[in-house]
Amino acid sequence: MIVAIGAALLGAVSGTLGTYAVLRRQSLLGDAISHAALPGIAIAFLLTGSKTPLILVLGAAVAGWLGTLFILSIVRLTRIKYDSALGIILSTFFGFGLVLHTLIQRTGNANQAGLDTFLFGQAATILESDVLTIGILGGIAIVIMLVFWKELKLLVFDEGFAASLGLPIRALDILLTSLLVIAIVLGLQAVGAVLMSAMLVAPAVAARQWTDKLSVMMLLAAGFGALAGVGGTIISSSASRIPTGPTIVLCATVVVGFSIVLAPNRGLLWNRLRYQRNKRNLKMLGGQLFQSEEQ
Amino acid sequence: MQASEAKAIEVTDLTVAYQEQPVLWDVDLDVPPGVLLSIVGPNGAGKTTLIKAILGLVRPAAGNVLIYDKPYEAQRRMVGYVPQRGTVDWDFPTNVLDVVMMGRYGALGWMRRPGKQERELAMQALEKVGMEAYTTRQISQLSGGQQQRVFLARALVQDATVYLMDEPFQGVDATTERAIVTLLQELREKGKTVVVVHHDLQTVTDYFDWVMLLNIRRIASGPVAETFTPENLRTTYGGRVAFITK
Repeated sequence: MIVAIGAALLGAVSGTLGTYAVLRRQSLLGDAISHAALPGIAIAFLLTGSKTPLILVLGAAVAGWLGTLFILSIVRLTRIKYDSALGIILSTFFGFGLVLHTLIQRTGNANQAGLDTFLFGQAATILESDVLTIGILGGIAIVIMLVFWKELKLLVFDEGFAASLGLPIRALDILLTSLLVIAIVLGLQAVGAVLMSAMLVAPAVAARQWTDKLSVMMLLAAGFGALAGVGGTIISSSASRIPTGPTIVLCATVVVGFSIVLAPNRGLLWNRLRYQRNKRNLKMLGGQLFQSEEQ
Repeated sequence: MQASEAKAIEVTDLTVAYQEQPVLWDVDLDVPPGVLLSIVGPNGAGKTTLIKAILGLVRPAAGNVLIYDKPYEAQRRMVGYVPQRGTVDWDFPTNVLDVVMMGRYGALGWMRRPGKQERELAMQALEKVGMEAYTTRQISQLSGGQQQRVFLARALVQDATVYLMDEPFQGVDATTERAIVTLLQELREKGKTVVVVHHDLQTVTDYFDWVMLLNIRRIASGPVAETFTPENLRTTYGGRVAFITK
């Protein structure tokens, strides 16, 4: 029960904040952040010897944030393109994280068991204290986002115009990225570094199919995220040793597939029907014109 | 030398470089209040960069910009901006009225949500650009000309004194172009200063009363009758333009 609540909260938070990541075409930034967070967890553990979720989350957040900072700096200061910078930082940080985790395992520290859940996620390890962490930090992130609602919306829609109004776009950009970092590190334990980005992207992509309104899209994304979280948790805990991350992601994928095909207006099925109808109507019209010409 | 009244825009020695090559080199521009000025020049002449530099969106390597004798930061509320239509994602989940209300965000300030007053201002602006029937239309379902008019309405609700517009005629049909020109001329009649990046040399004399010819350096600027000469155009376009003066 605790696990399901945790997964639902997590899905809701990452769905909400993932909406902006998708709209800014930064879906892959989430992937880089979650991979970059891994060494942070190991270092936090090495320094403190503790597995307190808050400490590990803090380590993950610092590392994820540093990774993002490196990516943005590389893009700004060199001629290396965004996707290359992303690739470099993602693999470097992730590799470093794997090395550290192996080292920790070699030391035979009895306390280390469980650190590797951060790779693929294990929702079963979610305790009441974790749910509290997710609820409080996720709640704070969402409140901050609501406070700066119109500024962030304008930043994402039209950065140049936002800057001309005097909005501090650099600061808002950092704020929005930091919120994304929070959402990601909260999900690492349950979903894992490898697949966390799907939790940001999938609910938002599915939500976009159903609505043309930002606030509705965010609510829907939160709902889809929570649904996938709960669904994945239940399935993975009913069978032993299925990692939760992949199961949650598969649930989210089902929602995305369903939305892409069936959503009104933007859905594939709808498009197909409209196309057929238009074709039929035009044919009838064409036929009439043809007849009237003959007469 | 006569002591002149305050200039709406005063650009002095402006140089901007993105990489080593300068995009703008030592540009001066004085725009008196109440004129309708077009900036013309070939591709890569720095027209957009000049607009952005006036707005403080790109940092100049050297030079100075004043709006009514003060730096832009102090005069933001007096300036309205129409960016190029292609710079935003028109599939963003929002509608026409919402985009137009974004023009009030600067005046609203932090934490405050747009309310009834902003809605009314946005409606008035949409009526002026002939888009009042499209308030709840999702922006991805607009034509190019309609998108342009939405951006114009957003600038109108800024209630500015100086307007900077980056290619407002790009990709719009003849009817929309005429409607926009009429609107710009109305703004000028009200004493506003309007600066427009423009591409069509044939319409400069019809639409505008001032012109700036730009090709990295300022070739010339002033009233159209004196400035828009074949010699200046040849200098600007490097003799590649076959232009027939009327």
